[in-house]
Amino acid sequence: MRSFLLQVAAVTVINIKSIPQRFWLSLSTVVAVALVVMVLLSFLAMANGFQRTLTSSGADDVAIVLRGGSQAEINSTVARDQVRLIEEAPGIARSPEGKPLVSAELYLIVDGLKRTTQTKANLPLRGIGQEGAAVRKGIRIVEGRMFQSGANEIVVGKALLREFQGFEIGKTVSFATSRWTVVGAFEAEGSVFESEIWADLPVVQSLFNRTNIVQTVRARLQSPAALDALKRYVDEDPRLKLDVKSEAAYFADQASQTSDLIHKLGWPLAIAMALGALAGALNTMYSSVAARAVEIATLRAIGFGGFPAFVGTLAESLLLAVLGGIIGVTATYLIFDGFSTATLGASFTQVVFSFKLSPALIAQGVILALAVGLAGGLFPAIRAARMPIVAGLNS
Amino acid sequence: MNDFVLIGKNLFRKKLRAALMLASIMIAFLIFGVLAGFQRAFNAGEDVAAADRLMVVNKINFTQPLPIAHYNRVRSIEGVRQVTHMNWFGGYYQEPKNFLVAMAVEPETYLQVYSDQVDAAADARAAFIRERTGALVGETIMKKWGWKVGDRVPVMSSIFTQKNGARTWDFTIVGTLTSRKPNIDTNFMVFQYQYFNETQNQGRDLIGWMALNTTSPSQNDRVTKAIDQMFANSFYETATDTEKAFNKAFMAQLGNIALMVALVVGAAFATILMIVGNTMVMAVRERTREIGVLKTLGFSGGRILRLVLGESVLLALLGGIPGIALAALFAAAMETSLSNFIPGFAVTPGIALTAVALMLALGLATGLVPAVNAMRLKIANALGRS
Repeated sequence: MRSFLLQVAAVTVINIKSIPQRFWLSLSTVVAVALVVMVLLSFLAMANGFQRTLTSSGADDVAIVLRGGSQAEINSTVARDQVRLIEEAPGIARSPEGKPLVSAELYLIVDGLKRTTQTKANLPLRGIGQEGAAVRKGIRIVEGRMFQSGANEIVVGKALLREFQGFEIGKTVSFATSRWTVVGAFEAEGSVFESEIWADLPVVQSLFNRTNIVQTVRARLQSPAALDALKRYVDEDPRLKLDVKSEAAYFADQASQTSDLIHKLGWPLAIAMALGALAGALNTMYSSVAARAVEIATLRAIGFGGFPAFVGTLAESLLLAVLGGIIGVTATYLIFDGFSTATLGASFTQVVFSFKLSPALIAQGVILALAVGLAGGLFPAIRAARMPIVAGLNS
Repeated sequence: MNDFVLIGKNLFRKKLRAALMLASIMIAFLIFGVLAGFQRAFNAGEDVAAADRLMVVNKINFTQPLPIAHYNRVRSIEGVRQVTHMNWFGGYYQEPKNFLVAMAVEPETYLQVYSDQVDAAADARAAFIRERTGALVGETIMKKWGWKVGDRVPVMSSIFTQKNGARTWDFTIVGTLTSRKPNIDTNFMVFQYQYFNETQNQGRDLIGWMALNTTSPSQNDRVTKAIDQMFANSFYETATDTEKAFNKAFMAQLGNIALMVALVVGAAFATILMIVGNTMVMAVRERTREIGVLKTLGFSGGRILRLVLGESVLLALLGGIPGIALAALFAAAMETSLSNFIPGFAVTPGIALTAVALMLALGLATGLVPAVNAMRLKIANALGRS
């Protein structure tokens, strides 16, 4: 047994030491695998980053109320009396002063300029109620101050400032006949709210000619379990033809639509490229076996078994693939991780997000690399193991 | 034995190796074909835009409405040949995931303004203008849902409800809209603004945007300024732009698709360049003695060069052409199911031609080094090497 293991080890070392003889061909396999891993991981990191941004936006203990069947905030309308009924609903948390933590909101789209392309882009202007910031968790003004109620003032999310121009602090912007001053920037724990512009609801309503109209209602719940009580209350009241969801569920739905689409693009592309790299790996390994035919036959002639030849060839292939995988992961991390970009979300406005790698994604990339190495080494290894000694020595 | 036979024999001397090369080239061109088709579909709006067409939208954002009074005022501006207005309906059929691109339009002028893009039979046009609940439905949608002219179809909206509380609008299909340009997909339907305006509950006499044709593209700048000045400082200010710029900005909102496509295609081509290039060098080095023999027989250096380059170009073509053909088949098979996301997804003759040019470039690039080596080879050295 020991001599068998020694044989395997010896042949593996010979195999690996012979790689420099086929330097360029081996390198091309390594780079091919690295590129496959990079393509896969950049798509997965994009989907993951988008998903994280949206799912971190939604809280379990915040309910969002929309007009029945409207699906996205932009399509919804809620009447003023319906808002009052919701304020009286069971399960809703109250402020220390005893006011229900409910924010009726208006969601409008305004133009900003995308920095990278200098083209117009849809940005959300959200009119929020007095409790708007308190309903949400983790809202923090990082520059300037919050808007004053009743004033033509707006605050902008940090992510929005990064990708779009036109809303820098101190700047005056005009929408139709109204002029607004940007007075502050806020953070929202990396959530989608950082891609928004906020202002006082009554001011937005009057300056945009939407007096008494709101689109959605957000309510802080006493606990996540209180959602059911609120739902029952809404269902039982014929005046409330509304959909009630937890904010977490609302955003999770939107996140999965887009990230599913990115996965559906990324995986087939990566698999197609992996097949191309596999052809390269097979080619390299068959060349390796052919180049070492005399050597393998000689080893066989002096008593080495076929199995060590098999293991040696497979180990060489796996080593090349793992090298490629590591380079691919490192390059993706250096180039794409944290890369900030924006796309249109479900409410027809820009959502700013960053590419985000995770250990689980890296594992998927390494597994794909290993799969290419395994498949690319297997058949050449079988050939190496079965090579007739005489034919090998003659070649 | 002519040179071509010799090239073929050389290429397929090691059948397994040749097959692996062909497979990797085929996959690279499959990826290229599919992604190029995808990108073309994304850019279609920009490519088909008429030079004399302007879009007039609310200056705040194109989702904000304009009053219909704007339409009548724009009509009278000098240099405006014809103008129409449209409203986004947010339509879907049966359930929200079957979304329909449905727009409420002014029927007569819609057909005039977009006569360069869509067409309908004369009786369908007349019926569309006449019938209050009539709709013209794009060929793509008709096929997708198996609808026929004369059908009454219920369309729901994710934005509007009817005044009577109903969520569904019934339309009578009075005709099929067909495309007048190969890269325009008819994945949309239009119906009468009047019917929409009278039945919906969210504000009367508002329109989404206007589309107009100028008397000549040279009038574009003047008309643009005239319109935006006319409504400056009003509650409903306008932003007028060419259709091309408008469509381009809209596509840019989705993200940098062009960069994404370029990176993936670049990665695919870098892979085959390296794999095929190295293999060609190796394959020619194995044949050193033979090349010496050919030279001894009187083959000139130039002829040797052509033999090797011919081999690498043949390899690229034999791998690439099936690849691009597969991409075309894939696009044809997926066209209907993807029509909602990327209408007009197809591998066009233009893409195929680009692919062939890339194949030639790939063949020359991978063959160049070994071909020059072979050309320069000295007979004595070649025969001396074992």
